[in-house]
Amino acid sequence: MVLTDQASTGTAASPPPAARAIDLVKTYGKGDAVVRALDAINVEFERGRFTAVMGPSGSGKSTLMHCMAGLDTPTSGRTFVGSEEIGLLDDSGLTQMRRDRIGFVFQSFNLVPTLTAGENITLPADLAGAKVDQEWFHYLVEQLGISDRLSHRPTEMSGGQQQRAACARALINRPDLIFADEPTGNLDSNSSAEMLAFLRRSVTEFGQSIVMVTHDPRGAANADRVVFLADGRVEGELVSPTADSVLERMKRLGS
Amino acid sequence: MWKVTLKGLLAHKLRLALTGLAIVLGVTFISGTLVLTDTLHNTFDTLFGHIYQKVDFVVRAETAFTSNGQGGGAQRKSIPESVITSVRNTPGVAGAEGNITGVPAQYVAKDGKAITTGGAPNLGLSYDPNPQLSSLTLAEGSPPTTSTEVAMDEGTAQKYGFHPGDRVKILLPGVPETFTISGLVRFGTANNLAGATLAAFDLPTAQVLFDQVGHYNSINILAQPGADKANVQRAIARGLPPGVEVVTGQTVANENTNSINQALSFFSTALLVFAFISLFVGAFTIFNTFSITVGQRTRELALLRIVGASRRQLFRSVLLEAGLLGLVASLVGLGLGVLGALGLEALLKGFGITLPSGPLIFQTRTVIACLVVGIGVTVIAAISPARRAVRIPPVAAISDHQGQATELSTRRLLVGGVFAVAGIALLAVGLTKPAIQLVGLGAVGIFIGIGMLAPTFARPLASVLGRPLAGILGISGRLGRENSMRSPRRTAQTSSALMVGLALVATIAVFGASLSKSATSSVDNAISADYIITAAGNGGGQGGFSNSVAPVAARLPGVTAVSTVYAGQFEFQRSVSSLAAVSADHLAQTVILRMDSGTSAPALAAGELLVDTTVANSKHLSVGSAIPVKFAQTGSSTMRIGGIYKPNALIGSFLVGDSFFLSHFNNPLPIAVLLRTSSGPTITPTVTSGLSAYPNVKIQTRSQFEQSQQAQVNQLLGLVYALLALAVVISLIGIVNTLMLSVFERTHEIGLLRAVGMRRRQIRAMIRSESVIIAVFGALIGIVVGSVLGAALSASLKNQGITDIVIPVPNLVVFLVLAALLGLGAAAWPARRAAKLDVLAAIAAD
Ligand SMILES: Nc1ncnc2c1ncn2[C@@H]1O[C@H](COP(=O)(O)OP(=O)(O)O)[C@@H](O)[C@H]1O
Ligand SMILES: [Mg+2]
Repeated sequence: MVLTDQASTGTAASPPPAARAIDLVKTYGKGDAVVRALDAINVEFERGRFTAVMGPSGSGKSTLMHCMAGLDTPTSGRTFVGSEEIGLLDDSGLTQMRRDRIGFVFQSFNLVPTLTAGENITLPADLAGAKVDQEWFHYLVEQLGISDRLSHRPTEMSGGQQQRAACARALINRPDLIFADEPTGNLDSNSSAEMLAFLRRSVTEFGQSIVMVTHDPRGAANADRVVFLADGRVEGELVSPTADSVLERMKRLGS
Repeated sequence: MWKVTLKGLLAHKLRLALTGLAIVLGVTFISGTLVLTDTLHNTFDTLFGHIYQKVDFVVRAETAFTSNGQGGGAQRKSIPESVITSVRNTPGVAGAEGNITGVPAQYVAKDGKAITTGGAPNLGLSYDPNPQLSSLTLAEGSPPTTSTEVAMDEGTAQKYGFHPGDRVKILLPGVPETFTISGLVRFGTANNLAGATLAAFDLPTAQVLFDQVGHYNSINILAQPGADKANVQRAIARGLPPGVEVVTGQTVANENTNSINQALSFFSTALLVFAFISLFVGAFTIFNTFSITVGQRTRELALLRIVGASRRQLFRSVLLEAGLLGLVASLVGLGLGVLGALGLEALLKGFGITLPSGPLIFQTRTVIACLVVGIGVTVIAAISPARRAVRIPPVAAISDHQGQATELSTRRLLVGGVFAVAGIALLAVGLTKPAIQLVGLGAVGIFIGIGMLAPTFARPLASVLGRPLAGILGISGRLGRENSMRSPRRTAQTSSALMVGLALVATIAVFGASLSKSATSSVDNAISADYIITAAGNGGGQGGFSNSVAPVAARLPGVTAVSTVYAGQFEFQRSVSSLAAVSADHLAQTVILRMDSGTSAPALAAGELLVDTTVANSKHLSVGSAIPVKFAQTGSSTMRIGGIYKPNALIGSFLVGDSFFLSHFNNPLPIAVLLRTSSGPTITPTVTSGLSAYPNVKIQTRSQFEQSQQAQVNQLLGLVYALLALAVVISLIGIVNTLMLSVFERTHEIGLLRAVGMRRRQIRAMIRSESVIIAVFGALIGIVVGSVLGAALSASLKNQGITDIVIPVPNLVVFLVLAALLGLGAAAWPARRAAKLDVLAAIAAD
């Protein structure tokens, strides 16, 4: 009871975390075939920090992202973005939240195939009917090295370029929080490293909050903190991770 | 969002074009009809406007009936010649001339055949030498001035190679006569009057030929320049005997235009009905395409939701897409409609309906109507797919677990059932009332309902239909069958457009067969004569022919009984009705009248009225009832009902004896002469040569007459089939569209099949099998539904003379086979496309 009161009002002392989940449960299917993808998860993602989420395949990482971002409805439990409780929002509230306060990068199919890279990047702003911050736009595409690809369609771009465009799209509205679900999963190691470096920089330089699912221990080493999942439960965390410490922890989880 | 929609549209130009085509064709039909009828309106407006430009007043008899008949034209008596003296003496009148108009004045071409017009009258008129008062202008030669001269209309002269100075035989109310062509005339500025032929005689000759000696039909009057026209009109009116009126030339012009416009509006309504049928079928195609593409774009739409598109934005985007599609298609259709107008004209000409020519009229109203209807239909058809689009959850974009929720919702079944039942109810009410709008609405309801229910039996039916294909074509046929079964909703939706088209075709087929059979049996039940003589060519004998045919025929050897049939209009209990007359003497030998009560021949001979049971029942009449009637020539009187007969298709509802008819109508012309012979229908050569002086009559035995009645029905059916063909074409476009979309969707799968060794030929066979199954599925349901509709329609018209209900099974089987072939044809392009897919690219494609 105490916990929920705090959660809904926010404590006076410190601002609420970028996002948090309380007793989050998500099940799929019915009867015998029921799958408990999230099994009473409690987790917080801090503001201005880069959090990695790791765990074996099928451990519920994607499901956690979807529920916390309001893309999917939890079976029970509560989720917050800032002080806003997702479960209390109606469809238009959720839409606005996704558009203005959250950015997404997925493993693939991030871009609308009929639009050019540039149009894809400004899409959230266009949907909101807002003016695109040109300076910010140019800064992003410059930083991501895709300024010469803006008039290309997704099919005319490499996987790395597509993911970087998706990154720019996620950042264009200066969201409170970015959810990235294996953003480098389909990339070669070079592209992957560039992409991670950019995410890291955006946290360090302008205090962007990022939650990223990854399989790659070296990728996770870019984060400030790693949260480990297994079988839909949080199985501990690691602050200031290194590739080695993550790898070791993963081995223990896997065994 | 605008941008997303536009880009999405442009990225799929092929889909756009195919979907749009369905609307383009329907809108073309509408715009073509409107342009054509506007053009005709304008032609007649200018024609009559021009003719009555200078005529200030017209004196004529008042209309005989308070209400006007269905034909539009009012019945008027002629006026005595003496009236013109008082008119000419009226102050302010500069000139006045009497006119005669009569029918028939039918030319005989140089090859001895009567010149027919296919519906328009063969008018005879008096030639008015005063050019300001005459509706005719002399184009060549000189006016007719003697009793052996005639001025011919330029149109007929050009078509049949007549020149001034030539001799020409003319078939008249009396005996045929030969005239010298003094000159050629135009009607106003046109070289003929809407296809009618004109024969202008000098006034006294016209009075003799049309039995109007001492009378005029009307008097055209010219006022003195500067005179106060209202005063002049009043002054003329004061000098007129009772029952005669004076109106302005403008009034007459308007009346003429209006009566033609009424006829035209019937014609344009009929065409618009078919245009809407096409659009309705087009709506099914649009609905289907949008359903499929929304399904195929699930991920894209979900992605838009993820990056912040609201439900409303997505909904609007899909509708906007439909609206833009409808706009472009309507604009194209609008343009094509102008060409279509020319096409319709040609089509109608092919069926013997000739229309006058004039500049094409393109009104703003046409543009607005086409845009509203075209865009409206497209947007409405897209509403349901758009609603489905907004229900896509955002996770659908990223989840690997695509929920295959293709099972049919009970809601859909419920809604479909409600539509079907409501449709049947509306149809039943509409047919019994009868109210044609309700019938139409009911049919729409039934089609939508069945379209919604069809997915439930799509899988089993497709499985059965596909079995023989699987047997013949092996693996390709089996895969084609599987493909048609895997998405029952898509199969059903795609075929529903064809279902509607074929349902209408089957309705018409059943109705036509019933009508045709009924026409035959009604002739057998209506006429006992061996020979039936009617007017050749002109609209089924409407014009009538010479009075002298019957006496000539009566003198032929072997002819034992002759009955002349007349028809005219009279007012029966204040409503204008058609009245028929036959000879009372030979009634039994020539006509079959099955009496319900009263007597037949004696009542006719006594000048009493016979009515059929339909009228007697609806107006609660019985033998002995005294009924108020009114005739144009003789005015009001009361008639006794002398007998009530069972419906007779050829006589109609009201019958009198010929002598009564002749004393109440001014010089009526026979519409048919019935002959009974001593040896049955075996003296054709005798009758033909005996009547050779009358090339405008058609001599038929009873069975030939039956056949020609059937031929008329079949000609009408041919026209209706031609108009329905467009709807079928549109439904085929729908099949092409779906198959194309399916091929794109299954790029991967087809690539895989190719990779494991399927030949191109087999791929093509697979797609074709699927198409044939879809087409036969739709056709089968359509034919069943249509047969039921056709039978219901025929049954409801039992009192109108459709006594037999015939299901023309061979025809329906032919339609089914045709549908299968059309399905094969529709698959041609998608099959080629699928076979051409590059194996590697197909597998690599995302
Ligand atoms: N839509 C769904 N329907 C059924 N089961 C699902 C669905 N989404 C995820 N799951 C199941 O939930 C569990 C967690 O899935 P997910 O969150 O995708 O794991 P991860 O991203 O960690 O690999 C898995 O067992 C998966 O099979
Ligand atoms: Mg995952």
